[in-house]
Amino acid sequence: MTAWQRDFAKRAPWFLLPALGLLAVFVIWPLGRALWWSVSDADLLAPERARWMGLGNYSDLLTDPRFRRAFFNTALFAVLIVPLQTAAALGLALWVNRPERAWRWLRVVFFLPVVVSLPVLAVVWSLLYQPEQAGETGLVNAALGIFGIEGQAWLRDPQLALPALAAMSIWQGVGLQMMVFLAGLQGVPREQLEAAQIDGAGAWRRLVHVVLPSLRNTLVFVVTVTTILAFRLFVQPYLMTRGGPEDRTLSLVQYIYEATFLNLELGRACAAAVLFLTWVGLLTWMQRMFFGEEKS
Amino acid sequence: MKRGLTWRVAAMWVGSVAVAVVFLAPLLWAVAGSFREEAAIFRLDASSLWDVDTWTLSNYADGWRRAALGPALLVSVAQVALIVGGGLIVNALAAYAFARMTFRGRDGLFAAVVMLIILPVEVIAVPMFFTARDLGLTGEFGAAMAGLTLPFMAKAFNIYFLRQHFLALPVQLEEAAAMDGAGVWTQFWRVALPSVKPALATVVVLDVLTHWGDFLWPLMIGTRESTRTVQIGLANLFTQPPVQWGDILACAVMATLPVLLMFRWLQRYIVATQVQTGIK
Repeated sequence: MTAWQRDFAKRAPWFLLPALGLLAVFVIWPLGRALWWSVSDADLLAPERARWMGLGNYSDLLTDPRFRRAFFNTALFAVLIVPLQTAAALGLALWVNRPERAWRWLRVVFFLPVVVSLPVLAVVWSLLYQPEQAGETGLVNAALGIFGIEGQAWLRDPQLALPALAAMSIWQGVGLQMMVFLAGLQGVPREQLEAAQIDGAGAWRRLVHVVLPSLRNTLVFVVTVTTILAFRLFVQPYLMTRGGPEDRTLSLVQYIYEATFLNLELGRACAAAVLFLTWVGLLTWMQRMFFGEEKS
Repeated sequence: MKRGLTWRVAAMWVGSVAVAVVFLAPLLWAVAGSFREEAAIFRLDASSLWDVDTWTLSNYADGWRRAALGPALLVSVAQVALIVGGGLIVNALAAYAFARMTFRGRDGLFAAVVMLIILPVEVIAVPMFFTARDLGLTGEFGAAMAGLTLPFMAKAFNIYFLRQHFLALPVQLEEAAAMDGAGVWTQFWRVALPSVKPALATVVVLDVLTHWGDFLWPLMIGTRESTRTVQIGLANLFTQPPVQWGDILACAVMATLPVLLMFRWLQRYIVATQVQTGIK
């Protein structure tokens, strides 16, 4: 170790302290409290009086039909958006991955909904999804009407509400994933593409045999991030449907929020949060196992 | 051959425009609606759109007043600026230490930070609320602004992402500076940090996007009028009767303008390839 390195290492604590201190106070400490409260009878008004009660909160949750509904809804939302959004983002990225300047405006268009914030879009889409009423109808029904498709009460129909939220969420988030894929496409080896073309491979075979394998790490990244984002679902149902109709869009996060601030059941809310974290961790781990991220 | 090519180009243009319409129509419709009288917003026929009598600016005045948008915009801009600015410094410092300094337990500590990347903020939001309260960060304006911003400055992903970029820098850069008598701080601030500017820009863009749209935390902690963000103001306008669609759409447009302007300004720094290093 040179003197330079020793001098460097001595300063490490000062470089690390601000970030690690903030993480300790605002992430690790609350995480510890969540774990403790999840096995206690803590309530919102006096969490310091919390007493140990074992796994009662967890068994309550697993038998609570509303929690099971919230979990099912959130999982269904993830099942709807992860494959569709990933495929759409990849398709758009391949579509606009051309050197000519003209394609840049299209990238900007696809990215625009990402820039507009989610609460704003939730409000706007509530109007777009308006059912026909007194001669007024939202843009979605009007647009479908052009193709002769009958209008629906998208957000009020228990069967349609969650898919409607999923469609809006894909429209909103696909631009960001497209940018990540575009970045990944820069790493596709050009020589291999040209060699495949000379060998007479069509666009589809080039995609499957050259492009996708070199996008492996990007795919793992996109699928993981989209899954976690899907499980964090809150703003859209909270603003657009309040979790209804018939709890069909009640999400895990809204369940945690209501258990805390409406029912004052801090212990139960924290148990739900811990289950949420366990599930997200498990899914991430499983995705890494299946896709097996390649070390570069 | 030539003819086939032309057809392909034409098909590509038609397809592109069709997809672009799907992405743009909702936004354009919202902007158009924000300038129209309440009764005309849902009228979609072109003739009524060109009927100048149904145009109005009063939605903007009403929305601005009803959502108290002036103060809310100040709070939102300050919130994002503090999180992004403060976060940039603390995360870059930590990333630099992890990339360049050798000390006992470094790899274990870094692995622990990386594990935090997948931790959704919603999991710890409730106890975080109590931590903020215990620290007195829910009181008057100054304290509440700290409560709104401090918990989100340090970010595991940003530390990881910036470390990758510091690692990619040739260490000779700093060694040369050290030869010239530069201390650790100067090497970090004058040599290393400017060399990873595109990575810093990427972090800024992603953080601005995330935190401009923050909803759950401001909903929990910013309960006083003086610390209400734009998003909460808009949501209140949307959920509390009487519901005026015109005002809501005008507010939605005004809540979007600052972040659009910021993007216009940051655009030259946004290089798609920069996202890549974080993935590998």
